[in-house]
Amino acid sequence: MAEKNNKKYFVEYGEPVGIIAAQSVGEPGTQMILRSFHLAGIESTVATSGLPRIIELVDAKKKPSTPVTYIYLDQKISKNFDRASEMLKKINEVRMSNLARRALENFSKGKIKIVLDKQELESEGLTIRQVAARIEKDMGLDAQPVENGVIVNMHTRNLKEIRNTKIAIMKMLVSGVDGAGKATVRRDDDTGEFYLVSAGSNIEGIMQIDGIDKSKTTTNDVFAVYRLFGIEAARNSLAVELKKTLKEQKISVDERHLNLIADAMTASGSVKGVGRHGLSGEKRSVFARAAYEETLKHLVHAAAFGETDKMRGVTENILVGKQIPIGTGSVKLAIKKEDMSKVMPKK
Amino acid sequence: MADEKNTKAYVYMNGRVVGTVAKPLELVEEIRSARRRGMLSGEINVSYSDGLNAVSINTDRGRIRKPYIIVENGKAKLTNDIIEKIKSKEINFNYLLRNGIVEYLDAEEEENMLVALSEAEITEKHTHLEVDISSIFGFTVNTSPYPEHNSLARHAMLANFAKQAQGLYATNFNQRFDSRAYVLFYPQKPVVSTVAYDTVRMQNHPSGQNFVVALSTYYGYNMADAIVLNRAAVDRGLGRSMFYKTYVDEERRYPGGQRDKFKIPPPTADGYMGEHVYSKLSEDGIIEPEMEVSEGDALIGKVAPPRFLEENLGAGGLEEKVRDDTAVLKTGETGVVDSVVFTESTGATKIVKVRIRSIRIPENGDKFASRHGQKGVVALIVPPEDMPFTEQGIVPDLLLNPHSIPTRLTFGHLLEMLAGKAGSVGGTVVDGTAFAEAGPDRIDAYGKILEAQGFERYGNEILYDGITGMPFKSSLFNGVVYYNRLYHMVSNKIQVRSRGKVQILTHQPTEGKARQGALRFGEMERDALIGYGASLLLKERLLDQSDKAVVLVCKDCGSLGYYDHIKKTMVCPLTKGSSFVEVEISYAFKVLLDEIKSLHIMTSLKLNE
Repeated sequence: MAEKNNKKYFVEYGEPVGIIAAQSVGEPGTQMILRSFHLAGIESTVATSGLPRIIELVDAKKKPSTPVTYIYLDQKISKNFDRASEMLKKINEVRMSNLARRALENFSKGKIKIVLDKQELESEGLTIRQVAARIEKDMGLDAQPVENGVIVNMHTRNLKEIRNTKIAIMKMLVSGVDGAGKATVRRDDDTGEFYLVSAGSNIEGIMQIDGIDKSKTTTNDVFAVYRLFGIEAARNSLAVELKKTLKEQKISVDERHLNLIADAMTASGSVKGVGRHGLSGEKRSVFARAAYEETLKHLVHAAAFGETDKMRGVTENILVGKQIPIGTGSVKLAIKKEDMSKVMPKK
Repeated sequence: MADEKNTKAYVYMNGRVVGTVAKPLELVEEIRSARRRGMLSGEINVSYSDGLNAVSINTDRGRIRKPYIIVENGKAKLTNDIIEKIKSKEINFNYLLRNGIVEYLDAEEEENMLVALSEAEITEKHTHLEVDISSIFGFTVNTSPYPEHNSLARHAMLANFAKQAQGLYATNFNQRFDSRAYVLFYPQKPVVSTVAYDTVRMQNHPSGQNFVVALSTYYGYNMADAIVLNRAAVDRGLGRSMFYKTYVDEERRYPGGQRDKFKIPPPTADGYMGEHVYSKLSEDGIIEPEMEVSEGDALIGKVAPPRFLEENLGAGGLEEKVRDDTAVLKTGETGVVDSVVFTESTGATKIVKVRIRSIRIPENGDKFASRHGQKGVVALIVPPEDMPFTEQGIVPDLLLNPHSIPTRLTFGHLLEMLAGKAGSVGGTVVDGTAFAEAGPDRIDAYGKILEAQGFERYGNEILYDGITGMPFKSSLFNGVVYYNRLYHMVSNKIQVRSRGKVQILTHQPTEGKARQGALRFGEMERDALIGYGASLLLKERLLDQSDKAVVLVCKDCGSLGYYDHIKKTMVCPLTKGSSFVEVEISYAFKVLLDEIKSLHIMTSLKLNE
């Protein structure tokens, strides 16, 4: 029985796991290169790594500085490089400005001519006819395909309207997924399967494309995961990203420390950073918050609302000079020896 | 080539475009020859960049330049005739510059040139000859022996150590009143010298001594950059130095006609430290030369007007109220008053300078370094009878751990040991200038000298253990190395405290050596104790041994009580009641409560039980 109970937990009661986690990540973190040099090459999707990435994760930045999506493909497609490459055309975010060589406005006739780059068109697998159709469909404009581009007839001579339409057309998404960025094909050396890596994080949009393995496709954008899959997935994503970043730097930290950080950041039901706008700023104790950052703000708020500090944390107890309720201080005497006779049945 | 290019080359003058030229190389040649003929200033440098197709002419300041001997048609222009003329003082260096024999090149112009390292190497293609091969290094590196055998990282270190070395920093040190000065007792010329060292006449103000060094361990006492010294050598003056410190004080004038006065402060003075403090001062309030002083002794007695103006003037015409502003010997310092000087500032106020001297004998914790970035801290001073000794009875001054050498790649240190030994037994100063000779040739040369004197050619000798008298199983490498004593000495740094002064505001211990302070138990140390779960140890450090305060908390309202001196009881400011609980809190917390209170915000402590 006792043995069974002992296996219920791996950490003793009163163990300061938070501090230990912080120290366990912080110490090897000092060895990390502040701005890790990027590997030279043609790789378009180089994710932030090292300390900047850790800071980004721990601060719970809404958008990662380098969003990356790993798009896995269905069995049939993933074995074949050509078919995998074809998937690129469905995903690659192509805007009119990528295709157009120039856009000429004819204000007197009320027309816009967009001269398209044939090579660009070819590499994206598009035709002039398709582009014109897309303009008609998405923008509701009168677009005619011509030999080297598309002519949009505005049926108006309003200068402002023509200019604004031109700008809108140039920004228009011609093919691919909005916010997916440019993707490249990569080969998994272990399984020999092909997968795609894109420099964007519109995982919702990408998931809607046929031929994608939805169970494996993932992104390094924790908030994108949170929006699509919920808080549990966000916690896992956070933990995985932390582990991956440290592993890249060849730093070995027990994964339970990182899990704890991910747990603490997501325990409230949303992803929160550890700074003053997150975990530290939401501590119960007035003193603990005031001891961290924005001392005045917390003291003024406490004074205005008549807050009470229950003195249950570590920081506030150190501040006033009490024994901290952690480690050897987490146990209390339930009854004094002298009082035992009052409770014990008499022999 | 460039002249065949159909585009014109840009001409840059100090980084600005001033025009274009069709034949850039001709322009460059023209400027160069005009400079060599003395038509243009020798400070002008011109270069042509093939990649940029641009000529750049630089005349501005801040360029690093170096002299080179000009080579024309495969022949150096500095001939033996000219060298003879210089030796006979017929001509000087400026003659060489003016007559196109030597010229200064900057880094940019040097790129256009092909420089031969030695005269033998010159071919038709060469344009210049190095004055000496060692001049590819700078001055600092060249003052160290065998720099070509040491790693770059160690050169960076030795450059730092050279600045920190104690020595004969100025021959008039006796007349100087530097705030701190370190003078070595018996400075020596290094046995292994270099051309650069001699050129700047470093031998006239040397900063070290030639130590007999054996590469040997000594019972673990020289692990990890520790060194072992020979007590006999230390007693005979090895590394001994004098430390001078000057205390300065001034009779300042204040607005309102008041001024300081040098004198023994009267016992009525504000901040009077007690009679014993001033006992060594003479009648004028200044200490006498050759007086032995120690920590806390007054050196310059001075009274100053009170810090805040008080309205007690004319109160019966009594003694003017003064403040004691005496200069006192700082904590941990002792010595003898070396010299006292009276002088005057530009503002016609009296200045007194008192120079204290004290002898610094090498002791455990003092720092030494060789000229190869090999530093070490004395860990043990061994009696001579316990030191290893050679067959001839030579006892090393210093035992260096052999592990210091291979990972640091300071082979110059080994070479200096060998050369120093050869120089010592042969009675010559050895030249250690960079590239003067190839390493193996040097070793052969030193080996010959050593063998001639009956030593082993590679500097190895059988050493005998001083404790057992038995020979060591392996022969040990030993030699003579020039060591610097650096100014980091424990006697200036040692500090202890168990109890002591506290800060007024927080009641926490002071910080820093000058205030007899404690070492900070900081946030990270706090985290370590929390992480270990040692809650009571943490409380002891942060409360009991710091700013513990017992306050009385009102049982009814939870506010802090105060002592009413008239009623002689504790009173609660709120309820006026007198039932209190004694509570231990940190004084810093009490200050926080007081400060919040000063903002008209009430705080109350709710107590259990």
